[in-house]
Amino acid sequence: MFIADIRKDFYEVVANQRVVLLVAPDIDALCACKILQALFHCDQIQYTLVPVTGWQELGTAFLEHKEQFRYFVLINCGANVDLLEMLQPDDDSIFFICDTHRPVDVVNVYNDTQIKLLIKQDDDLSVPSYDDIFRDEDEEGEDSGNESDEGSEPSGKRRRFDEGAVERRIERQRAKREWEARRREILFDYEQYEYHGTSAAMMFFELAWVLTKDTKDMLWWAIIGLTDQWVHDKITNMKYVTDIATMQRHVSRHNHRNEDEENSLSIDCMRISFEYDLRLTLYQHWSLYESIYNSCYTSCSFKLWTLNGQKKLQEFLADMGLPLKQVRQKFNSMDMSIKENLRDVIEESSNKYGMKDIRIQTFGVHFGFKNRFLASDMVHATAALLESAEKDDSETDNFIKALDALSRCAKETKFTLQRLNLLTFPLKMSSFFFLLFSLCRSNIDRLHSGIALAKKKLIAIQQTVASCICTNLILSQGPFLYCYLMEGTPDVKLFSKPMALTLLCKYLLKAFVHSTRNKRCKLLPLVMAAPKDVEKGTVIVVGIPPESETSDKKNFFGRAFEKAAESTSSRTLHDHFDTSIIELKTEDRSKFLDALITLLS
Amino acid sequence: MFCEKAIELIRELHRMSDGQLPAFNEDGLRQVLQEMEALYEQNQSDVNEAKSEGRAKLIPSIKLRHCCLLRNQRCVTAYLYDRLLRIRALRWEYGSVLPANVRFHMCAEELQWFSQYKKSLASFMRSLGGNEGLDITQDMKPPKSLYIEVRCLKDHGEFEIDDGTVILLKKNSQHFLPRWKCEQLIRQGVLEHVVS
Repeated sequence: MFIADIRKDFYEVVANQRVVLLVAPDIDALCACKILQALFHCDQIQYTLVPVTGWQELGTAFLEHKEQFRYFVLINCGANVDLLEMLQPDDDSIFFICDTHRPVDVVNVYNDTQIKLLIKQDDDLSVPSYDDIFRDEDEEGEDSGNESDEGSEPSGKRRRFDEGAVERRIERQRAKREWEARRREILFDYEQYEYHGTSAAMMFFELAWVLTKDTKDMLWWAIIGLTDQWVHDKITNMKYVTDIATMQRHVSRHNHRNEDEENSLSIDCMRISFEYDLRLTLYQHWSLYESIYNSCYTSCSFKLWTLNGQKKLQEFLADMGLPLKQVRQKFNSMDMSIKENLRDVIEESSNKYGMKDIRIQTFGVHFGFKNRFLASDMVHATAALLESAEKDDSETDNFIKALDALSRCAKETKFTLQRLNLLTFPLKMSSFFFLLFSLCRSNIDRLHSGIALAKKKLIAIQQTVASCICTNLILSQGPFLYCYLMEGTPDVKLFSKPMALTLLCKYLLKAFVHSTRNKRCKLLPLVMAAPKDVEKGTVIVVGIPPESETSDKKNFFGRAFEKAAESTSSRTLHDHFDTSIIELKTEDRSKFLDALITLLS
Repeated sequence: MFCEKAIELIRELHRMSDGQLPAFNEDGLRQVLQEMEALYEQNQSDVNEAKSEGRAKLIPSIKLRHCCLLRNQRCVTAYLYDRLLRIRALRWEYGSVLPANVRFHMCAEELQWFSQYKKSLASFMRSLGGNEGLDITQDMKPPKSLYIEVRCLKDHGEFEIDDGTVILLKKNSQHFLPRWKCEQLIRQGVLEHVVS
């Protein structure tokens, strides 16, 4: 059921209890988790945080903790399946689900006791009404009772009554069949398309605001959660703009101080500001040239995989009067005279080249002398950390690293605490401080390493897109476009992770739409496959909706993949929380594709 | 040269700084005591000789040996006392049960001293705070909060808290637990305190 008052029905219920937080591996969930952790720290609510990467891990984590915990909070997972059937919990387990995946499963919506949805009821849901889907069992019982009564009547009248009874029964059965057919249709329409709702981080920020325990850190995390939805193309432009306006109100509320020359805040305090900034990814931490080269929007508009496109880029830079030497060096080292009006200059020139939306509404943060970040920078950095393909790190290690990168302060390690305990008389103070400083690793360093990884990822995406377009790897299969990344492709390991592959997919589709002349192909969705695990022989398959300006981002591949897998009995694993991402055995790839084509044409 | 062995003992302790306890150097101690005995014998005989025969020339050597004896005594008592201080610190660091390798480094008398120190500390703690007693070895630094966030660094299995709840400590899970229960595990390296 939907929760009406998040403070009374959720926060006060868990206030004196122990809670398990099950968190999905995406940035929005990480931000929501950080906000909730901060609230729990305030009120000393004991919790256990378990990162889960798929349905199987969710099940295992639930089994491990169900004996000891009654309350489970699921962040960005669990809304779109019948949770009670999947987990088979005891009657006293209560689940609080804050999930952006839509559509919400109807059982989750109409269960009154165990499932509480931390979702606003008007959040673009269009849930079918109760009577259309659930039929009460009592009606059946009454009918059979009537029939047995009628059966005891004297035989003279029996035949007529029997006929009447038989007619009524046939009538009831027909009505029931009609109702069931209508129910199937309604459910099919409801569950056909998968899309995303309001960011989970924003929901929890609202909870913090209602409790008046919101801080600037929490606001910043909510902004990052929202920006993650936009960067990974999960919400429509309209929704993004509306949500930005909501966040802007909070930002101005937090910035409202009589800040002037005398009463200014310390430079180390966090300042969040609204920016109408350029859509060039990571441009403040990179050189301007590289950023323009590797950002999806500019690269597709210029068609930078062609020679012509690169010439156009040079023209563009010349048109703005930016010398190549300046543009190729690190952004921080560019001349101040160039940096001053950069945004306006770029906007003016890009209008001439057909890029109308080079600027986007977003937020930036500023703390200390060196640290300035835009929200999209944070999203890319944390996503790169979360999915880094280092050999030794498991997925939970990456989760922890990404979680750390979101905090601002210096990290204290256990080693320093241990050292403090072992210190006895006499000890030189200088060596003690040396030890302390050398072992402290700031979370900002982690963020910077994330930014470096994100740069590598973007360069890899750009190169893969260029090679795919130039070698015509994208084939039209009829109802959709298809692309397969071979095993030998450089950086293919990066693309064995779902978020990176989805980003590549969207980038590729955009580039394809700009490069092809076939009008029909421009409206097709894209399915992409990349090798996931060479030893096990699996590939990861992702499907995204067609690219258009007014796209509503609704994805039907979830159901399509399920049906295709069933009909060909391919060995698939639908483990990911987004149903449009699956794992498949390499051998079954062709028959799965054929089934998909037949299904969708 | 005299007193060299005593200095060896001191140097050995000085090398192991940071409160670590090296093995009890019985051999070294015995050698020092033997040297002291030898010196004392020689002094005795010389003093008798000086008294009986009035040979004043022996007096400087008697004085020298006496100084050596005093020096040896000072070194040995410093050695023993410093070890006791380290053992005392161990009680505050590790709790009342010492790990086996540390106990191995202590001699029998030191173990006895340790158990008596434990007893007197325990009776002192019981006498504080009314009838309940107060564990003053907890919270050596004033804690900032009752609960701290900890991250599990290795699989430790199940861990029980005061009210009976059992927490499953799996690698990379994070928990928000009462501070006093976590301190032991933080020292052992199973948990890591997360500051955010």
